[in-house]
Amino acid sequence: MTRAAPTTLRPTTPKEVRDAVLDTPGRLAITGAGTARHWAGRPAGVDATLDLSGLSGVIAHNPGDMTVSVHAGTPLRALQDELAAHGQRLALDAARVARGATVGGLVATADAGPSALVYGGMRDLVIGATTVLADGTMVRSGGHVIKNVAGYDVAKLMHGSYGTFGPLVEVVLRLHPAPRATTCVAVDGPVDRAAEHVLRLMASPLEPIAVEWLSGEPGRLLVRLEGGERTLPARVARLVELLGDGAREVDGAAAWDAHAALTAGSGAAPDAAVVRIGCAPRTLAPLIGRLPATAVTAGLATGVATVTVPATAVPEVHDTVAAAGGTSVLRDRPASAEVPAWGPAPSSLALLRAVKTRLDPDARFAPGRFDPWM
Amino acid sequence: MPLDAPIRAEFVALLGDQDVIDDPVRTRTYECDGLTGNRVVPELVLLPRTADDVAGCVRICARHRIPFVARGAGTGLSGGALPVADGVVIGLNRLNRVLEVDPENRRAVLEPGVTNLEITAAAAPHGLYFAPDPSSQQVCTIGGNVAENSGGAHCLKYGFTTNHVLSVEVVLPDGSLVTLGSDSAEQQGPDLRGVFLGSEGTLGVVTKVTVRLLRTPEVMRTLLADFPSVAAGGQVVSDIVAAGIVPAAVEMMDALAIEAAEGATGAGYSLDTPAALVVELDGTVEECDEQFAQVKEICDRHGCTRLHVAGSPAERAKIWRGRKAAFAAVGRISPDYIVQDGVVPRTRLAEVLERIEQMGSEAGLRVANVFHAGDGNLHPLVLFSAAAGETERAEELSSAIAELCVEMGGSLSGEHGIGTDKACSMPKMFGEEDLAVMDRLRSAFDPDRICNPGKLLPTPRLCGEKPGHYRPHPLEEAGLIERL
Ligand SMILES: Cc1cc2nc3c(=O)[nH]c(=O)nc-3n(C[C@H](O)[C@H](O)[C@H](O)COP(=O)(O)OP(=O)(O)OC[C@H]3O[C@@H](n4cnc5c(N)ncnc54)[C@H](O)[C@@H]3O)c2cc1C
Ligand SMILES: Cc1cc2nc3c(=O)[nH]c(=O)nc-3n(C[C@H](O)[C@H](O)[C@H](O)COP(=O)(O)OP(=O)(O)OC[C@H]3O[C@@H](n4cnc5c(N)ncnc54)[C@H](O)[C@@H]3O)c2cc1C
Repeated sequence: MTRAAPTTLRPTTPKEVRDAVLDTPGRLAITGAGTARHWAGRPAGVDATLDLSGLSGVIAHNPGDMTVSVHAGTPLRALQDELAAHGQRLALDAARVARGATVGGLVATADAGPSALVYGGMRDLVIGATTVLADGTMVRSGGHVIKNVAGYDVAKLMHGSYGTFGPLVEVVLRLHPAPRATTCVAVDGPVDRAAEHVLRLMASPLEPIAVEWLSGEPGRLLVRLEGGERTLPARVARLVELLGDGAREVDGAAAWDAHAALTAGSGAAPDAAVVRIGCAPRTLAPLIGRLPATAVTAGLATGVATVTVPATAVPEVHDTVAAAGGTSVLRDRPASAEVPAWGPAPSSLALLRAVKTRLDPDARFAPGRFDPWM
Repeated sequence: MPLDAPIRAEFVALLGDQDVIDDPVRTRTYECDGLTGNRVVPELVLLPRTADDVAGCVRICARHRIPFVARGAGTGLSGGALPVADGVVIGLNRLNRVLEVDPENRRAVLEPGVTNLEITAAAAPHGLYFAPDPSSQQVCTIGGNVAENSGGAHCLKYGFTTNHVLSVEVVLPDGSLVTLGSDSAEQQGPDLRGVFLGSEGTLGVVTKVTVRLLRTPEVMRTLLADFPSVAAGGQVVSDIVAAGIVPAAVEMMDALAIEAAEGATGAGYSLDTPAALVVELDGTVEECDEQFAQVKEICDRHGCTRLHVAGSPAERAKIWRGRKAAFAAVGRISPDYIVQDGVVPRTRLAEVLERIEQMGSEAGLRVANVFHAGDGNLHPLVLFSAAAGETERAEELSSAIAELCVEMGGSLSGEHGIGTDKACSMPKMFGEEDLAVMDRLRSAFDPDRICNPGKLLPTPRLCGEKPGHYRPHPLEEAGLIERL
């Protein structure tokens, strides 16, 4: 059970984060906005919580270079608003952005949304980062330019670290131009039919930005296109023709809100859990058919899906996904559920432990996150 | 301590006699990579044929603490594959099979010795291609690309090797075989694959790579545009990006580079222009047409003196042939040259090019520029004559240019890596703490420091020596004296 930590520290500068790490003995949890509080392993008891939501704001935005550096506690939603004023964006649309997820938290959880199909995840968008280690070392890697192969890419190590190596304090991001026009085309049908549509779509030259299937009666495939105001209609027509089957343009905002809600497991039964899975794209539709899922969002071209299942079925989900050559991690779950957060450990587990030992020898940060692996 | 006979026998027992090379004439073939100024003849060269063989070789090295260096095609330009004296080179060229092309999942599984161009050749029948395209793509290997996180002209839009590798199977320095990354974009725990990508052979040996393939775009539009100044060309790049257009490639060449490339290839470049841009757009017909019109308009606005649009695939290939041959072609206008590789924020291109010109004239040396303008990745070519005794001055100028890039808020390297070449410049870009953490990370992979030691991170020995490239003394070459 998550217990109330005895102390919560709320630093507002990188130096205060460093001081907090150095001056606080014992084990530390790191929190941003709390949107992924229950993800991955159940946090073990800590002596203090480092709340980074006060370490917020843009440090430098260089519109001409399409880069921005921000404090890690900055909510991505707020950052997007600032960037939009310059016709730019961070090309990341994870479901929990709308709920205030922070840039640091999004990096730490390796979260991504539907547009990962084209833009990748945070790992592909972060070009530099500064992190505080357990001994107070501030480590900076990368820089402010999009192309850079000097030294090890330590920022990538933080991607998916769930806070176990220490708090990110500054993140430098690569930006993209905001599209001048965006639209969404939908076609209804079950997941296997959607998968056939996606196969033809990905073989076509239409360059979709996101391709997601949502469960329901009978289920729905959403395809996002971006482009110029004048050129988009012609591509929409080509897309509608390619999909056939009653495909049509729909209200994108509503459609993607519905997607985000399903991804977050909203409206699920109180004893349900949300699991994120990944596998080869063509394996996904048949795999989903074998899971006891009550709700699904499936990136049929990326191989990444989020499924809502009865919490008691989580071990079975891990096994089924692993048998299909995929990976899985637990996201939200009922407070009472004692289920494993991760599937079988990867072959690199000993290496992961060695890295943890070098960077955080006393295991001070985020204990429990990789339970049962380490 | 030289490798003694019993150790050699262990390698022979594993690989067979013909795949363990110790004949000094043959080991000499491996004495350097593309950075030919630095040479070290390895004690042994091992040529395994399978991943298990590679693991076996590394296990023997681990047991005896023998340093080893992985080698692909040896085209690296930063001395990453420079052998270690008293160590072995593990050549990966015999692991060169395309194991699988899976069009439905848009990926390919490769052994490390497959060349970059072979990947696209294997994917092309399915309408797919591998996006990262270093100019050396005909010969460089995917293992080398992974180690260097290589880029190419099309990386502005499509990203670098790290953005296209789903997983790598690697032999760690203790001889264990692990997979980093997975079959999907979803990631489990910290991105160790991302750390390995670009680690320059210092964290392990790649034995298998799974890459993403992209669909060949519907159309590609390429134009060549001349400008009255390098600054005007730079402004065009900024304006294209500001207009929300992400070209597939934007390359710039200055007068000296154009002269060399045109002389070598007859690609149709203008010999009387101070700067030329190659701009390529790709995508759907609709988007490309609209953006192409915008790009032309931006070029005109900045005083474009000639705009040539490739009218056919053959013409497009010709434009690219000139650009891709530019490095080698510089050999035609100068007896010797050094290729530098640094990055600056795109908005500082004009300023940095001006500074480079100034520094060149102060040093009394010519500098040719041909580079990936869209990502701010410069390749200043410092021209000199070794015979005229200009080597040292050229090396100093080249290092000063790399460090200038850092001063401008950029990076020491955009694609060629740090290797042995720029390890001593790393403290210009990173603080002591940053470097110490990188060293801790390295030691998690390689506690005994046997995996490509002396590369990437500065070591006191390396940096204590006189800056500049090591060149053997004639007496050393004659085998009469030796540096210890
Ligand atoms: C009262 C309370 C007690 C807690 N007790 C514990 C505990 O005992 N053990 C424990 O591990 N956690 C504990 N936590 C932390 C909590 O369980 C999650 O770690 C946190 O709320 C998730 O915050 P978060 O959603 O930032 O969301 P996100 O911002 O979505 O982050 C999710 C993950 O990212 C990490 N993270 C967020 N920001 C950063 C950053 N800037 N740099 C590096 N990593 C980052 C978090 O540690 C977490 O693993 C506690 C939180 C609270 C409020
Ligand atoms: C004319 C020319 C043009 C070039 N253009 C470009 C360009 O446009 N973009 C670009 O990025 N680079 C370019 N390069 C540099 C070079 O081609 C790349 O760095 C390439 O990736 C090196 O591949 P290789 O197989 O030759 O590797 P090598 O030179 O053999 O090795 C390079 C490094 O990789 C390591 N390595 C090799 N194989 C493995 C393996 N299997 N496992 C672990 N480590 C390994 C080595 O130890 C070494 O550190 C160019 C080079 C030349 C000569």
